[in-house]
Amino acid sequence: MSHGHHAAVKLHYQPALPLGRGKLCLWLFLSTEIMFFAGLIGTYIVLRFGVPAGTWPAPHDVHLQEYVGAFNTFVLICSSVTIVLALEASKQNNAGLAKFWMILTFALGCVFLGVKGYEYKEKFKHGIYPAKPHSRIYEKADLYYVQGVRLTLASQRDALTARQGRLQQEGKSLSEREAEDLATLNDLLANLVQWTELKAVREQDTVMRRLAIDKMAKAIYPHWHIGPGTDEIKDAYVASLVREEEQIEKDLVTVKDDLQKAQQEKANLEKQAAPPEKAASDAPSNATLVALQNQPAAGQAGGSPAPDAEQRSKVLAQIGKLQERIDGLNTEQARMQGRTKMIELLKEEKDDGLAHKYAQFHLPMVIPSGNMWASTYFLLTGFHALHVLVGLIAFVLVLLYRLDHTKSHILENTGLYWHFVDLVWIFLFPLLYLF
Amino acid sequence: MAEHHPFDPRSPGHGYEAEATDQEHGHAGTGKYVAVFIALCVLTAISFAVGNWPTLRHSAPGAMWAMMMAVSCAKAMLVILFFMHLMWEANWKYVLTIPSAMMSIFLLLMLIPDIGRRTDRYSEERWLYAAEPEEKNEHGDETEHGNHDHPEHDHGKQKH
Repeated sequence: MSHGHHAAVKLHYQPALPLGRGKLCLWLFLSTEIMFFAGLIGTYIVLRFGVPAGTWPAPHDVHLQEYVGAFNTFVLICSSVTIVLALEASKQNNAGLAKFWMILTFALGCVFLGVKGYEYKEKFKHGIYPAKPHSRIYEKADLYYVQGVRLTLASQRDALTARQGRLQQEGKSLSEREAEDLATLNDLLANLVQWTELKAVREQDTVMRRLAIDKMAKAIYPHWHIGPGTDEIKDAYVASLVREEEQIEKDLVTVKDDLQKAQQEKANLEKQAAPPEKAASDAPSNATLVALQNQPAAGQAGGSPAPDAEQRSKVLAQIGKLQERIDGLNTEQARMQGRTKMIELLKEEKDDGLAHKYAQFHLPMVIPSGNMWASTYFLLTGFHALHVLVGLIAFVLVLLYRLDHTKSHILENTGLYWHFVDLVWIFLFPLLYLF
Repeated sequence: MAEHHPFDPRSPGHGYEAEATDQEHGHAGTGKYVAVFIALCVLTAISFAVGNWPTLRHSAPGAMWAMMMAVSCAKAMLVILFFMHLMWEANWKYVLTIPSAMMSIFLLLMLIPDIGRRTDRYSEERWLYAAEPEEKNEHGDETEHGNHDHPEHDHGKQKH
């Protein structure tokens, strides 16, 4: 180093950084990643705490199981240990052992992603998507929600009815299951949706309107938060069903009374209107009516006196009106009886709701702040899963080498990245599953 | 010339010899990793238990959140210090971790009072256009009308 012609040049010794360049770059990358995930979690805080207090869905409201998340946390912790053991083995020049630990790490990463995929599938199955075309989440129990339920049910009812028509032309009929579905759809449309709609239209009190719609939302998708007060809320809901049932029972007595009176009145009028020669016959009311309607024409043809015909047509008009009233009362009675049956069903299904019982109908659900929940959940877990995926690709590339001590710096860098992925999950797990 | 290429990362001055001496001190034994692993599992169990503690969730959600975040920070420190070997690194570690960590924590802490608590002071009009909070009274007595027109009465009682 000390040759003569170099003596004039002053060489300064530049100490190198006390770490490999790859590791330096990886740490720089990780510090940008810290910022990135801080921004992401910041977004979550803005959105999660920005919703009205108390509306953020509890995990059970959105089919999120805490223990599945806890299991995934455990899987990631295990994989952190295995990759650190792989690095140790590699440093000790034990390539075989290092490869074993790396393969185990890779398998654990796959388990994590598999569980994540299962969780996503569960959400999609229940109509929880981050965006509208597939999402069946409504924020509020309002008229738009009732309309959404009606359209969902009616489109399926119409499809089944059309199918029934086509099959009948071919001399076939709906399968047992389809026929049952059709009956259920009609039942739900009449005794759940239409009942609520009429209640919402007829009620004078706006609060009562809201309560009627709210009750329907609860019947379809109850979200009973865990914790004290849960039972009270559920009991109050059941109590309101019982109250409604009692009210209907009372109303039904009145309707039946009215019906009887109307029929009595109609019978009297019919007797009055019956022409003398037919008065003796005790024909059923419908036949009498038909006979009466035919009477004037026959009478005029026979030249009977006009005042008598006028009198009779007046009575006939009265009978017609009464018949209308009777029809109306009959419909009302059937409606009430149908609703009573529906209430029995709602009482039975108070825990899981109709959306669970009739999963095949894909009923819309009211989950306050549910859309925001879905967006943030899929955003955060999605970005994390993407990092896991990149980690798995890195593992595959690392596994191509013989992992002796000359390759331990590659393993170290991969390990640093993987630990960071674990680190992010350490914060995401409580934020998403337990908060 | 020397056997080492000047830019060979394994040449002196790149930290590898330091690592080798660390190894001799035995900082990274399997026993330590197992201990950290057990600690991480226990801490996860603690945050799981805290999150599934209905009384705490109902009466002091703020305390519950703080506890879970404290547990998470402890877990993060364990992972960074032991698994990522930051405990045994030279001083460069502070340059790369402290500023970004500070900025991140500052960002999150500032967002909570600024946005996280904004519904505390919502006006009555603003509530009309907000999603419905889950209210106990609403499911109950249908004859009890007074409360329904003023949903904000209940917000004070809810988690902030």
